[in-house]
Amino acid sequence: MCRIAGLIHPEFEINRIEAIVDEMCLLLKHGGPDDGGLYISETDKLVLGNRRLALIDLTDAGHQPMAYQNRFHITYNGELYNFSILKEELENLGHQFKTQTDTEVILAAYAQWDVHAFARFNGMFAFALWDDQLKEILLVRDTAGMKPLYFSTASGGLAFASEMRAFKPIPYLQQSNAESSVFLMAYGHIPEPITTLKDVKPLHKGCYFKYNLRSGEQAYHSFAHYCYNNTYLENPQMEKVLYDAVERHLIADASVGVFLSGGLDSAIIATVAAKIQKSNLNSLSLYFKDPRYSEKKFQDILLQQLHCIPKQYLLDETEFHHFFPKIIQDMDMPCCDGINTWFISKYAAEEGLKAVLSGIGADELFGGYPSFKRMSIANKLKGIPDLLLKSGRNSKIKKFNRLSYLQLYGIKGIYLFLRGHFTVTDIAMQLDASENEIWNILEDLPVFSKFNNLHIKNQASWMEFNMYMQNQLLRDADVMGMAHGVEIRVPFLDDQFVRFALAVDPEIKYGGNLPKQWLIDNYKDQLPQKIWDRPKMGFSFPFQDWLTNSPFVKDLMLNSNKGSRHNYERFIDRKLHWSQLMSLILLNSKNEA
Amino acid sequence: MKHNDILFVTLKIFSATGGIEKVCRVAGKALYEHSIENNLTIQVYAMHGMKNASERNRYFPSELFRGFGGNKIKCILASIRKGIKSRIILVSHINLLPIAWVIKMISPSTKVLLFAHGIEVWQPLGRFKKMMLNSCDRIISVSNFTNDKIQELHQIPKEKCFVLNNCLDPFLPIPGKLDRELNLRKRYGIGEKELLLFTLTRLSAKERYKGYDFVMEALVHLKKEYPGIRYLLAGSYDKEEKEFLDNHIQKLGLQEQVLMPGFIADDEIAAHFSMADIYVMPSRKEGFGIVFIEAMYYGLPAIAGNRDGSVDALCNGKLGLLVNPTDVQEIREAIEKMLANMNAYKPNRELLLQHFSFSNYKSKFIKMLNS
Repeated sequence: MCRIAGLIHPEFEINRIEAIVDEMCLLLKHGGPDDGGLYISETDKLVLGNRRLALIDLTDAGHQPMAYQNRFHITYNGELYNFSILKEELENLGHQFKTQTDTEVILAAYAQWDVHAFARFNGMFAFALWDDQLKEILLVRDTAGMKPLYFSTASGGLAFASEMRAFKPIPYLQQSNAESSVFLMAYGHIPEPITTLKDVKPLHKGCYFKYNLRSGEQAYHSFAHYCYNNTYLENPQMEKVLYDAVERHLIADASVGVFLSGGLDSAIIATVAAKIQKSNLNSLSLYFKDPRYSEKKFQDILLQQLHCIPKQYLLDETEFHHFFPKIIQDMDMPCCDGINTWFISKYAAEEGLKAVLSGIGADELFGGYPSFKRMSIANKLKGIPDLLLKSGRNSKIKKFNRLSYLQLYGIKGIYLFLRGHFTVTDIAMQLDASENEIWNILEDLPVFSKFNNLHIKNQASWMEFNMYMQNQLLRDADVMGMAHGVEIRVPFLDDQFVRFALAVDPEIKYGGNLPKQWLIDNYKDQLPQKIWDRPKMGFSFPFQDWLTNSPFVKDLMLNSNKGSRHNYERFIDRKLHWSQLMSLILLNSKNEA
Repeated sequence: MKHNDILFVTLKIFSATGGIEKVCRVAGKALYEHSIENNLTIQVYAMHGMKNASERNRYFPSELFRGFGGNKIKCILASIRKGIKSRIILVSHINLLPIAWVIKMISPSTKVLLFAHGIEVWQPLGRFKKMMLNSCDRIISVSNFTNDKIQELHQIPKEKCFVLNNCLDPFLPIPGKLDRELNLRKRYGIGEKELLLFTLTRLSAKERYKGYDFVMEALVHLKKEYPGIRYLLAGSYDKEEKEFLDNHIQKLGLQEQVLMPGFIADDEIAAHFSMADIYVMPSRKEGFGIVFIEAMYYGLPAIAGNRDGSVDALCNGKLGLLVNPTDVQEIREAIEKMLANMNAYKPNRELLLQHFSFSNYKSKFIKMLNS
């Protein structure tokens, strides 16, 4: 796991390109504290950069960018969980390896199987691979979109990086995307394919972008995707599939821990991981003094039976205020969440852990969100004529207020109806724009095809998996973990596990009284009842109070435009949720910067 | 405002293995990738496809697919409903043209595109069909041969006609030591050094235009010169054709030479190409002949007929030999020429990929959609 960056530009001097990529890497240093390197090809006006966080083969042999057969060069971010199997296969085909890294396996796999190699990779990854013979560069991103990769082909060059902040040294990419504020306010994050820069976009998951320097040819291809099934597995057995997935995710030469929030999903991951690692497993938990928000009692129940090395951290208000401005800075692209991930990653780093397992993905695959129940009503409400939907916008009741979002085409409208952050009226007021302008921007992007051929609950799952998890949870996990040089791994998104989950009959998968009942049923006998038979706390943090008390926030908001001042007052009056305020804080701190 | 960008209506796409279905799958993938790159919405319908037909397919996510299980009325109505809200409607076969025509009537701004493959458009059409054909904005032919026929027979203006040659499926296994892994020659009892001619096609009494019967006649002479020569005629057959061929083989005294293994599983096709020495199919009615480019992808020298779409597949003879498909002597001579100098007839890989790679196919296809 590392951070990557690079630039090809036929019209720039190589020294200039090198200086730019060097600076890009410096901006990404937090995510790769162990080592750094550049690959420079003067004739091709190409520089690949890397900041390394060493997890597999900690020696210098893992230095990146790495070369293979003196022809292929890679700068790579991520983990390949099936690399040892691939390595064996490649060795049988005659490949010889100099290192113990998964990086070298990627290179050899590409040398052997060309672009067919990518679909064989089970892992989270984003990389740039340069073929010096064909003069061709490939940007590649994993099927679940766990690792980010942004790129731009503007101005006749090719620039790419793991984070948006890294584009700062490239002068021709500085035009910001004014519309991103609209998305932030509507979604609470910036959904793909939108970014904060006008000419930079994310590479779509499961895709590769190929650019041949000789012919100038560019090609954007998909190598893998996930499908929800309409024919189902007979007698699906989850335990074995998840056990294998967790086992793969524990592969590392550095120490790996597990996040233990007190909730069901991380409890399951920790239970399975503890079985594999016996007593060597480090667990990390965050708790608050205020019992209304604290999950400590659940963590304690779990820790009693897990026999791991427990680390629990009390996050208090003083620490929160101290680090809050830093968190805002570390965010890369703005997002209304991720504070807790930032703190838990900080503690993980302090404990010397380099990778931590998280429970992300279970809610999306097994129906942990309210949207799974609300999907069918939302679909029905979508049938209401637009005019009537629009009239909801003046309602004082938030739910009615968001009704108007349903006039947006397809699943996007449903998403914003169920999960929307601010209403269009609020956004227009805050940004001093007309409502029509806001509607047009939201209508335009992102686009999703209609898919009523899926089971209604699979539609909800699709939406949470591809929108909420993709754009908010995974991005937070990546960027907040990397802020401390900690890699967050997600066993529920293991390639084989995802394919398994998508092939389970929705009647089984989402059946039962409790959310995620089937998941619970599979682990009931291994978990204390208090863990699975408890209300979901979700967004319950003491941040409402803490942000109210924050002089930094007060100062920022009161010194901003009229809309911000008005919204800050609403927040103080408890009419605005802290996560909504977060978006506004980010908007204003961005303006300040 | 059109909510959907592209609707692609097909007859079958995953449930059959013919050439037209191959084109549809690859076109579906191209459209899917185009939609990702350019933020568009697409839908793929299949009249005869089952609801679950697209599962685990590698071409595009199944949520973009709708199969109507043979319910024509339902498919027609759904396509029209969706089509009038689409910017572009693409139909995979002339039999689906009435759908596109109705859509065009209701929504004139919707662009109508039709795929034209082969024999289905090489015959005179009734007045109504011709009128519908004329209402298309673009007719995309898979070969120049089909394109010429359309202009000649149906008087379609040139500017509406485009040629988009079929391409290599991007998921074809990479050429290599495929047959040795499967030990295929041993399975068929063919010696490592024996010469092997190969044809892979559906063997149907109704479609007896593939020329394998002529190849057999040529073989009668060839076996004298090349005693170890064998002919593998693979593909599923119907009863009538099997009887015909058995008789034919017996009549020609080729029981020793000709092998008819029947259906070849998808995952063994590549290995079969790798095992053979020459791909020969002097067909008379190929729309394009994807099988030729596949054979050549695995390094096989190819012989094809010079009177149909195969001419494009062999790049006017630059990639292989074109023969008069009804002239047994010419077929025989072509095989002899190749056997005398195998290396000279190995298809030029660079040229093959330049013409028939998926990447090039996609960019031409997308240009056509946007032009």
